[in-house]
Amino acid sequence: MEPEQRTEIPPGTLYMLVLRTLARQGPMHGYGIAQHVQRISGDVLQVEEGSLYPALQRMLVKGWVVAEWKQSENNRRARFYSLTPQGRKQLAREIREFERVTAAIVRVIQPA
Amino acid sequence: MRELLRRLRFLLHRDQFEQDLEEEMRHHLALQAEARGSADPANRQFGNITLLKEDSRAMWTWNFAEQLAQDIRYALRMMSANRLFTAMAVLSLALGIGANTAIYSFMDAILLRALPVERPEELVVLNWRAKGNTPVIHGQSGSRHGDRKTGIVTSPNYPFAAYESLSTKHDQLATLFAYASAFHVTIITRGQAEVASGLFVSGGFYSGLGVPPAAGRLILDEDDRAGAAPVAVIAYRYWQRRFAASPDAIGQTLVINNVPFTIVGVSAPGFFGIDPGSDPPVFLPLHAAPLLAQRPADDERRRFFDKNFYWVEMMGRLQPGVGIAQAQAALATGFHSFVDSTATSAKEKQDMPALFLEEGAAGLDSLRRQYSRPLYVLMAMVGLILIIACANIANLLLARAAARRREIAVRLSLGAGRWRIVRQLLTESVLLSSLGALLGLVVAYWGIQSITWLIANGRDNFTLHAALNWPVLGFTLALALVTGIVFGLAPAIQATRIDLTPALKEGWGRRFRLPTFPIGAHQFLVVAQIAISLLLVVAAGLFVHTVSNLHSVDLGFNRENVLLFSLNARAAGYKDDALARLYFGLRDRFRAIPGVRSSGISTFPLVSHFVNSDRVILPGAPPPTDRQANTNLLNVDPFFLATMQIPILLGRGIEERDMASPTVAVVNEKFAATFFGKDNPLGRTFGVGDSKPTADIEIIGVARNARYNSIQEEIQPVAYLPYTPKLGGPGAVFFQLRTAGDPLAVAGAVRQIAAQTDSLVPLTGMNTQSRQIDQTISQERTFANLCTCFAALALLIACVGLYGTMAYAVARRTGEIGIRMALGAARGNIMWIVLREVLKLAAAGLVIGLAAAWGTTHLIASYLFGTRPNDPLTIAISVAILAAAGLAAGYAPAWRASRIDPMTALRNE
Repeated sequence: MEPEQRTEIPPGTLYMLVLRTLARQGPMHGYGIAQHVQRISGDVLQVEEGSLYPALQRMLVKGWVVAEWKQSENNRRARFYSLTPQGRKQLAREIREFERVTAAIVRVIQPA
Repeated sequence: MRELLRRLRFLLHRDQFEQDLEEEMRHHLALQAEARGSADPANRQFGNITLLKEDSRAMWTWNFAEQLAQDIRYALRMMSANRLFTAMAVLSLALGIGANTAIYSFMDAILLRALPVERPEELVVLNWRAKGNTPVIHGQSGSRHGDRKTGIVTSPNYPFAAYESLSTKHDQLATLFAYASAFHVTIITRGQAEVASGLFVSGGFYSGLGVPPAAGRLILDEDDRAGAAPVAVIAYRYWQRRFAASPDAIGQTLVINNVPFTIVGVSAPGFFGIDPGSDPPVFLPLHAAPLLAQRPADDERRRFFDKNFYWVEMMGRLQPGVGIAQAQAALATGFHSFVDSTATSAKEKQDMPALFLEEGAAGLDSLRRQYSRPLYVLMAMVGLILIIACANIANLLLARAAARRREIAVRLSLGAGRWRIVRQLLTESVLLSSLGALLGLVVAYWGIQSITWLIANGRDNFTLHAALNWPVLGFTLALALVTGIVFGLAPAIQATRIDLTPALKEGWGRRFRLPTFPIGAHQFLVVAQIAISLLLVVAAGLFVHTVSNLHSVDLGFNRENVLLFSLNARAAGYKDDALARLYFGLRDRFRAIPGVRSSGISTFPLVSHFVNSDRVILPGAPPPTDRQANTNLLNVDPFFLATMQIPILLGRGIEERDMASPTVAVVNEKFAATFFGKDNPLGRTFGVGDSKPTADIEIIGVARNARYNSIQEEIQPVAYLPYTPKLGGPGAVFFQLRTAGDPLAVAGAVRQIAAQTDSLVPLTGMNTQSRQIDQTISQERTFANLCTCFAALALLIACVGLYGTMAYAVARRTGEIGIRMALGAARGNIMWIVLREVLKLAAAGLVIGLAAAWGTTHLIASYLFGTRPNDPLTIAISVAILAAAGLAAGYAPAWRASRIDPMTALRNE
């Protein structure tokens, strides 16, 4: 196994990443979401399945996403998640919050 | 809101959810495998699938409740799979928790329960204490308690004038009210007579306590005045019993000691007065007290105008914001100046009583005084039993945890969190203890009944009512939770501390190979059980010894086949000669009942805790100053001594001719020896009493020593005087009937004769002499009976524990024993190996138990009679009993070990 340097997703941002992915790509299955995040982030962010699926369930409970069984691109039955209007609102909220925090962190670590 | 709906939908479609998740995982893995090229690494990277599923599921559910329900389901399944284990655990817990609940309900009833009045926590009781014999007090009617060690006496009684002077101090107390016991009164309602207790109360009594009437009105200030119309308030229960709770009762007449009182009201249901130890049916104004006396004018002068006559008791309600110490300081000063003003000489100013306050929330302390120490002793005992039971179950659980190692290892390796498994095991043990508690309530109910029966011991006026009320149920629930956690936690933690690989490698059918007996928790628990059992067996032995000593005390009279009962004709209006004629006539009619051999009369029965004691004055000698010169007195008719079979050793007994001029006495041997030494006492004279008595009582005979009021005390001087109706006091007498057979068989005939003669003369206190004596030692008997039960229980539980441990150890060593036998060990040797273990455990337990017994038995010294706390015989017998029980419990496993077939054992290996 090649030693890969992958970073864990910062806590609290997984929902935002998943919501963003769904918002940009439309309905996707779990594996696809994980792959997409990994690819777009240039293999920096690694989505653990152990946190992805519980997070998806949580989002179902909250009503941010809905799930539906469909045929996948390679003819398998897969569960596709898609964003709800409520999820879209939540995404905007999460991004706003994330930017606020990041900006604050940047201000702190910037050399004077 | 929508979220809730979604969650509910999830609950309905759980299976669908599980399937979806399963398929989703499979899909994910397949894609991942395709990407990587092989199934295995994907799986590894995927991590803990079970945990993932669990976490996913957790997102949907109210996790805690869900898991709890799951745990309980699983625990129930485990329990029904191990029926024997479950039954044993639940049964021993039921006995342990039941015993604790029963004793606690008595503590609740006696020590903890507050009076059913308004804001009971504000109430204070006014008592006084003094050293010595308080010369300022010329007379007292009430109670005094002395402490033998310190010589300090305490009492709740005050002169009426002190009550009046203290009730003006309103800055500390919001209200102050007074009451006094009316002792026993004869109540006649609707032509039926009965003897009951009564309470005199001041006008502020009910308003001060905040007790409302259930019907009519209660006693008011205008009722409690000299010359006011005599009124009475009756208790709710009496109203139900006598008047069927009819409102017509108000305004009816109640004849009390021959004086008519008008019923003005009924007090609230549940209200029993201020002493949980008594339950008077009638409440009368304080100023009605003289009406019931023989000489009302004298009594009134004494009670209301004599500042040195102590009789009323007081309770007050603290002003909001005033502390008990602050109120005590102010009231004590007030009382001191009052007492000081009533002391007329320098001598009377010595040893003056000093007021102090006690919390009154739980009412007066007559019951607490009597039972609090014994209750703590009993509570300690049942606590120990519960500990033994817990140790037993912990032991069984440890053994089972070992047997479940593989199961738990599998669950841990499948991804169960450790805390999750501990929680599951704890759910099992708490479920066990809850079932135990449930069954324990049945045990407790039965226990309360039998303990009440034991303590009451045939007394019909017994007022202590322990019950399974909410506080007690709360205690039981807490006990169940705590015991469940106590006995479950250690095994649960131990069970989950497993090295997975070896545990998984063990075959289902294989035993664990351990080199020697596992030293540790098992042994420790068994040793502790044996030690505690020894403690309880020693205690039981001491109490049983005490009771047998008490039973073998030489009474000096024959207690068997004597019927006792009391009649009070003075309360029905008989006086002087008419009174004597009635009593003597009745005595002769009783004697004519078939089966009655003789009958006698006395003012009270022997060994009944009645005492009449006074100073003896000898002619020519100065009046004595100390108590040593006292004698006990009993007024008897000519037939009493013969009926009780107390022999006359010298001179003659009391005869019919003495009844006319009662200046003769028969004294006991002790009296003769105390006052006349070796001289012949016949013909000598003495006097009794305080106020310049004449020494004109002539001794006509000496009777053999007989117990007077207690079988525990030393024999004291006794003088038997002829009964005369002119005696003061309530005018009641006791009849003694010696019968040929069972004395209670003639009770019906006695009642019939009494009713025919005069139905308004109440007959009370029907009892047998031997039961009367047993009642004076009821505390010792209760202790002995309960302790024997507890010790047997402890022994049984400990033996089950020992048996279980040894059986388990033998099962674990089957392989080793097989090898030893294959190598030529004899069956006897194998038995000895196991029994040696048993003996080691028993010896360790006994040594610890002996040390504990040595250190603690002195705590019960005051309940013992004729034996010492560390009586060697009792201890030796207890040790022998335990050793025998231990060997018996260990014998079966040892025997089984010796019957192991080496071939089978080795094949299993």
